[in-house]
Amino acid sequence: MLLLVLCLAATTSYGGGYQVGLHSARNIGMGLIGTSLSYDASSLFYNPGGASFVKDKWSFTGGVSFLMARTTFQPLNVKEQTHLEHQINTPLYFYAAYKPTKNLSIGIAVNTPYGNGLSWGKEWKGRYLIQDLSFRAFTFQPTISYKIKDILGIGVGLVYAYGTVDMNKAIPIQGSGGDGTLNINGSTGNFGFNAGIMIHPDKGWSIGIDYRSKIEMSVKGADATFNVPQSMQSNFPDNKVDVMLPLPANLDIGASYDFGKDKQWMIGVNLCYVFWSTYDSLVFDFETKTPAVNRTASPALYMDQLIVRLGAQYKMSDMLTLRIGGYYDPTPVKNDYMNPQTPSMNQIGMTCGVSVYPIKGLSIDAAFLYIMGIERNATYSPDNFAGTYKNAVYSPGIGLTYSF
Amino acid sequence: MKKVLFIILSLALFTACERKIDEYQVEKGFANFTTYIAVGNSLMAGYSDGALYHSGQQYSIPNILAGQFKMAGSGNFVQPVVNSEFGIDYPGATPKLVLGYPVDCRGVVSLGPVPATGALEPVAPVGYQVNNLGIPGAKSFHMLFPGYAQYNPFYARFATSATNMVVQEFAPLNPTFFTMWLGDNDVLLYAITGGVGDTITSPGYFQQAMGGVITYLTNNGAKGVMANIPDVTTIPFFTTIPYNGLVLTASQADSVNMAMQLYGLTDTSRIKPYHAGPNPFLVADPTSPHPMFKLRQMKPGELVLLTVPQDSLKCKGMGIINPETFYPYPIPTQYVLTSDEVNKVMTATTSYNDILAGLAIAYDLGLVDMNTKLKEMQGGIVWDGIKMNTRFVTGGVFSLDGIHLNPRGNAVAANYFIDAVNAKYGSSIPQVNITNYPGVIFP
Repeated sequence: MLLLVLCLAATTSYGGGYQVGLHSARNIGMGLIGTSLSYDASSLFYNPGGASFVKDKWSFTGGVSFLMARTTFQPLNVKEQTHLEHQINTPLYFYAAYKPTKNLSIGIAVNTPYGNGLSWGKEWKGRYLIQDLSFRAFTFQPTISYKIKDILGIGVGLVYAYGTVDMNKAIPIQGSGGDGTLNINGSTGNFGFNAGIMIHPDKGWSIGIDYRSKIEMSVKGADATFNVPQSMQSNFPDNKVDVMLPLPANLDIGASYDFGKDKQWMIGVNLCYVFWSTYDSLVFDFETKTPAVNRTASPALYMDQLIVRLGAQYKMSDMLTLRIGGYYDPTPVKNDYMNPQTPSMNQIGMTCGVSVYPIKGLSIDAAFLYIMGIERNATYSPDNFAGTYKNAVYSPGIGLTYSF
Repeated sequence: MKKVLFIILSLALFTACERKIDEYQVEKGFANFTTYIAVGNSLMAGYSDGALYHSGQQYSIPNILAGQFKMAGSGNFVQPVVNSEFGIDYPGATPKLVLGYPVDCRGVVSLGPVPATGALEPVAPVGYQVNNLGIPGAKSFHMLFPGYAQYNPFYARFATSATNMVVQEFAPLNPTFFTMWLGDNDVLLYAITGGVGDTITSPGYFQQAMGGVITYLTNNGAKGVMANIPDVTTIPFFTTIPYNGLVLTASQADSVNMAMQLYGLTDTSRIKPYHAGPNPFLVADPTSPHPMFKLRQMKPGELVLLTVPQDSLKCKGMGIINPETFYPYPIPTQYVLTSDEVNKVMTATTSYNDILAGLAIAYDLGLVDMNTKLKEMQGGIVWDGIKMNTRFVTGGVFSLDGIHLNPRGNAVAANYFIDAVNAKYGSSIPQVNITNYPGVIFP
C-alpha cells in the first residue's frame, strides 16, 4: 500500500520531503547539497552528469546512518500526549563508479531513500487513522555519465525502486476483545530515471542540474487482513488491495564555488523543487467488495515545495576535512490535511561532518544531522483528527570512501 | 582541533533541544467545581441498553464529566452504584439488551438485540449520599413530588428519606456546580407509548416545575449547565422502521388491491393502490367511517416504534392482511406515532426548549443545545476517524434500546457539556478522548 505514504512517512524522519535522504555521509555533513559536487561516486545519485567529473578511475563509497526521530502529538482540547515510537532506522548507501575512458563514467547506485518505520501505538487516539507503518524501499540505479570537454558533463541513470510495506490500523467495529484491525502487507517495484547536467563554467565554479522522475508505485494485490468480531466477518472478508502512489519527481539545481589556497574552501547552495502535488489522494481499492469494504480515497492534496540548502567544506589538512550545512524544508502538507500516517511540518536541518584520511585515497566519513520540526497545529479534516505536532530527528552517520 | 571541539559542542547543543509541546492547561474559570452534582433522568443516570447496569452506569455522562472536573478541583463523585451487570430488579424489569442472533418467525437468524441472561439486582437502598441524582423515568414535576421514592425504584435506592422530594436531596450535598438533563420524559414517555400510554406535560406546568428545580439547585449559589430536549425524530427508537416498510411484489400488490376492493376500502384519501416495492403499513384509525375496518395507510412523517412486534409484521400480516383470516390487520396505535401525535410531540419539545432557553438566561446558566447536536449527528459526524450517526446499531452512539446513548455516545454528549461549561464560565476543562469509550459491542 502506500508506498507513497510510506515514503511520506519516511518524511517524518528525513525532513519535509522524502528525498531529503541520507545518501552519503560527506553530503550529509554539508547540508545535503550534492547536485553541483563531483568528489566521489555519490554523484551517481546526486547528479549523474557530475560522475564523469570524478577524477579517479575507480571510486567506491558506502555507509549507513542511524536515524532516530522523536515526534510528539498533543490532541486538540484533550489532555493527553502521544509520543511517536520510531524504530531506529538504518538507511544504507553504496555507490561504485568506473571510468573506462577519461570522459566516460559508468556506475551503479544503491540506496534506501524511502525506508522508515513509525508506530503511534495500538491504543492511541488516532488509531483509526494509523497505528503503525513500516516501509523499506531500495533503489538500484545503473548509470552512465559522459563529459563533453571540461566544462559540461551529462548523465542518466535508470532507477528501479523496490519496496515492501506493512501497515496496521484499528477499525471502529468493536467486539468483546476491543477494536477490529486491518493489516496491509505488500510489495511492489517500478522504474524511473535520474538525469543530470554538470557545468564547470569558470575556474572554481560548478553548477549542477538534476531531475529525478516521478515513480508510480502501484501495489497490486497486497494482502489485506481484517480482524473483526465474528458477526461482522462477512462484511470484512480477508482480501487483496491495490494501492497506487506516486513518488514525486524533483528538480535540483545546485551551485558551488571552490576557493582559497589549494581550494581549501568550498561553499555551495542547492535548490530542490519537489513536485509533491502529484500526491492528490491515497487510494485503496479492495478486490472483494462489501458495503463496508470497497474503494476509498483519502485526500492528501500535497503542495509542491522548494527546499533551500546551504553547505560548506574546509580541508584542514591532507588528513582532515570539516563540513557544515543547513537547510529549510517546508512541509508539502496543508493544514487541513495533516494525516498522522505522515506527520509533516516545516523543518530546519543542521548538519556537520568530518572526513579523516588515514591513507591516500581512503577516507572515513562521519556526519551528524539534526532536524528541528516547527510546532504545528493541524487537522486531518476528512477524519476530524486535530492536534499539535512537533518533532526532532537525530541522525549520526558513518561511511567509507575509497578512490584510486 | 578547536573546530572539532566546536562541532562536538554544536552536536551537544542540538541534542539538548527536546521536542516538548505544552500540556493542555486546565483552568476552572469563574466556576467552582468543588462539589459537583448531576440532576435528571435516565440520560443522566447512565441507563442504556434498556437497563441501569454496572458498566453502563460507570460510563454515565455525569461520571465522565466528574473525571474531567476533578482536574479543576472537583472532589469525589459518588453514584448509586449498581453491582449487577444486567440491571435492577423492579416489577416489569428486563435485563440489558446485547447483540445476539435472534431467530425470527420465518426461522431466519440475524444479528439483533436480545436480552442478556444474568441476575438482576434487587432494589435496596445503597445507604450513602450520592452526587449523581439521575433518576430513570423522572419527569420535571416528579422532582417536586413528596414521597416520589415510593413510586420510583431508582430513586428509592438513594433517597435519604421515603417522604422527600428529590429537590430536598440537593441542599445537604452543598453543591457548587451542577449539570442537569431533565424534562425529556415529559414528552418522551408519551411518544414511546405511541401517544396512548402517557400524557404530555403542559408547557405551563413544565415551566413551573423546571423553575422550581432550578431554584432549589441555585439557592446556595451553585452554577451549572443544563441540556435541552432532543427531538424524537433524531432517536433510532422512532426512525428505524420506516412507515413504508411493507415491501410487496407486483403480484402481491395486485392481490392486496383486489382484497381492498372486496372490503370496500376504496377511499384513496385513506388507502392508495398498492404497487410493487415499498408500501405504507396500515395503522388502526378509530376515526375511519368504514363500518368494519377502522384503519388507513400510514403517511410520510408518521413513525413506527422500535417496540412494534416484528414477528407480527413479518409473518402475521400486521400492517397489511392477516394471512389466516384474510382480513386487513392494521398496526395497533400504541406502536405508531401518527402525524397528529408527532405534531403534539414536536410542539411540546419546541415549547420546552424555549422555556429551558429562557430559564438559562433567567438563572444565568449554561445551555447545551442537545437538540441541535443530535440533529447534526443525524446527518453524520466524524471524530478521530470514527463515523457516527443516529442510526440504530450501525450509527455507533445509541445503545440497543434505541433511546439512550451508549458509552461512546455519552462521551460525545459529555464533550458537548464541557464545551457549554467552558463557553459559559471561561474555564478550560479538557474534553474526553472518545476513542477510549466503547461503542456498540458486536458478538
